[in-house]
This record gives sequence, C-alpha cells and structure tokens, in this order.
Amino acid sequence: MMMPKKVKYRKQQRGRRRGKAWRGGELSFGEYGLKALEPAWITDRQIEAARVAITRFIKRGGKLWIRIFPDKPFTKKPAETRMGKGKGAPERWVAVVKPGRVMFEMAGVDLATATQAMDLAAHKLPIQTRFVSRTGEL
Amino acid sequence: MDQITVEARPRDDRGKNAARRLRRQGQVPGVLYGGDGKSVTLAVNTKQLAAILRSESGHNTIFKVKLPTGDEPAMLKDWQVDPLLGSLLHVDLLRVAMDVRIHVMVPVHTFGEPQGVKLQGGIFEMVTREVEVECLPSDIPGEIRVDVSELMIGKQLRVGDLPIDAAKIKLLSDPQRVVAHVVALRAEEEKPAEAAAAEAAAPAEPEVIKKGKKEAEEGEEVAAAPAAEEKEKAKK
Repeated sequence: MMMPKKVKYRKQQRGRRRGKAWRGGELSFGEYGLKALEPAWITDRQIEAARVAITRFIKRGGKLWIRIFPDKPFTKKPAETRMGKGKGAPERWVAVVKPGRVMFEMAGVDLATATQAMDLAAHKLPIQTRFVSRTGEL
Repeated sequence: MDQITVEARPRDDRGKNAARRLRRQGQVPGVLYGGDGKSVTLAVNTKQLAAILRSESGHNTIFKVKLPTGDEPAMLKDWQVDPLLGSLLHVDLLRVAMDVRIHVMVPVHTFGEPQGVKLQGGIFEMVTREVEVECLPSDIPGEIRVDVSELMIGKQLRVGDLPIDAAKIKLLSDPQRVVAHVVALRAEEEKPAEAAAAEAAAPAEPEVIKKGKKEAEEGEEVAAAPAAEEKEKAKK
C-alpha cells in the first residue's frame, strides 16, 4: 500500500474539497488517462486495487503512472467508544481528489486495451470517472 | 497560413461575472499583447479558437485577429482550459511580426515501430513531446516527424537527432535531452496473498519528524477509553 515514509504530524484535520483540480488535470506522461469527475478521498486500498486491476489486465507491455498519492491520514475511534477523549487513532491513508484530476495514466498499449483497463480500474474507485486520451483534448 | 481570421472585440468589463457572461455567449475572454502595440483585452470567438487548437499546426498557427481598428496577425501564446469540461476559459494572443524570429514549441511526432518493441519486447516511451525552436513565423513547422523504427532497448532518441532544417530553424532545447526511448519491461512481482492481507490489515505508521507524540503516550490514550466506560457503568 502507498503511504508516506515520514510525516510531520500523525493526524490531520479533515479539510474541505471545494473546487476543481486546477493542477494535475492534463495528461503529463502517458497516452491515456483516467480523470475524476467528482471530489473524493481515495484510499490507499482503492488505489492499490485499481493498480492491480490495470496491471493484471495489460499483463505484459504498457506502462502505468499513478498521479495521486495517499498522504492524508484519517483517524477512527474504536467501536463502542463514547464521544470525547480526544481524536481517534490513525486508521488509513487517503488521497484528496478533486474533479478534473487525472489519477492514472498509461502508455505502450492500444486504445482498446487502455479503455478496458481503465474501465476495470474505475470500478475500484468510489467516484465517477472519464477515460481521456491525448487525441481527445479540446 | 494567414487565411484564418478570428473575430474579436475589445472588452472593458472585468471580473468573473462578466467573463462568465461572455463564455455563455460563445466568446472567451482574452488579451492581445506583444510587438509594438499596447495590450488590449478582448472577447474572442471560442469556436474559431478551438478549431485553431484542433488544427494540424495547433497552437503555432498564425491567424488574423479581426478588430474594429484593423486586422492584426497573432498566435496563441497561452490558454486556460476547464479541467472538467475541457472548454476554453481564457486565451493569451501574441502579436506576431512576420520579419522577427520568435521562440515556439513544436510538437514531435514519431512513426514506425521500434525494433526494440517488435523484436526485444520493450516499451516505447515518449519523454519529450515538444521542443523549443527559434525561427521566422512563416517557417514554423507544424510538427517534427522522426522515424523511430531503428530504436533498440536502452537506446534513446535525443533532441540533437531530430531532423531539422538548420538554415531556417535554430534548436533551443538541450540537444542531449531525450525525446523518446525504448525501455525493458519490469516484471511485476506478485506478493503472496498472506503477506498482502497482513499489510492491508495493519499498515505500519510512518516516522514522525521531530515532535511527534510518543508511542507510550498513544498507548495510554487508547487504554483510557475503555476504562472511562467502565467507570460510567459503575456509576449507574
């Protein structure tokens, strides 16, 4: 699973996910990509599940770039615990994704393979996504 | 080349409300600058600009901006696109003097299947998709086409190898910069199911820089919660 090696603070405030992804909204490395259409916290498990789905589908050939990183910890209180007594313990890591963000990029495969691979990955994510390619811009 | 004309009119209103009104009317806010003239804020026809960006010469197309004061040759210097809708939000137009050399980014396109992919099973990867060149506006190439069929695994195509007419065009990008290469496939190691499950169940915590809470302190915090519940029950 993806997670930071070092952090300054163990816990973070939740924050808000307003607006669009004004950075990271274009294809930078590959030929094809998967773009988020909704804001969400994408967990390390979901990223890993999507990565595994893509790499298993394309088998050999093709290159994958993951353009999101789960660097935000979220906490959870233990079950059957009363409120108060401080913030819970860190549970997992999430990536904050805003609409328009290109989350995965691929190269070295044909369009049909890329479309299917991204479709499989999209099913592992909790948000609506769109397949994007270099030829389809504007 | 100069046949394309883009309709535009000067605009005085500023701010997001006016900009949004313009966009709803099929126009995009923009600015025209450079050359000898002053900068002018404009409202430009969106469809015509999008057609230019989609054209073969793309953003290096030189067109005429049709203004009430007269036509001005210009090219797209910069543009903003909505990350979700893909629609144009704002454009920067640069006045072009046809006798002055300018710096432009020219796309590099490859053709042919590399030997390293066909015979050795590698992956062809484009690293640099655009190179910077200096030339007269009339000499701007629409693209630089390069044959990559001889590329083997571990070999690179560099900017210096690109076929460019040196008499007209001067290359500004670093000649040593890699344009494309063929890389060997890295085998993906599948973790044993047990190890993957263990990792998923209890992810290790990362190191906390400087003043992080101590482990002991954290342990007390967790232990304190059930103890508090027991006290509550005893009171009842």
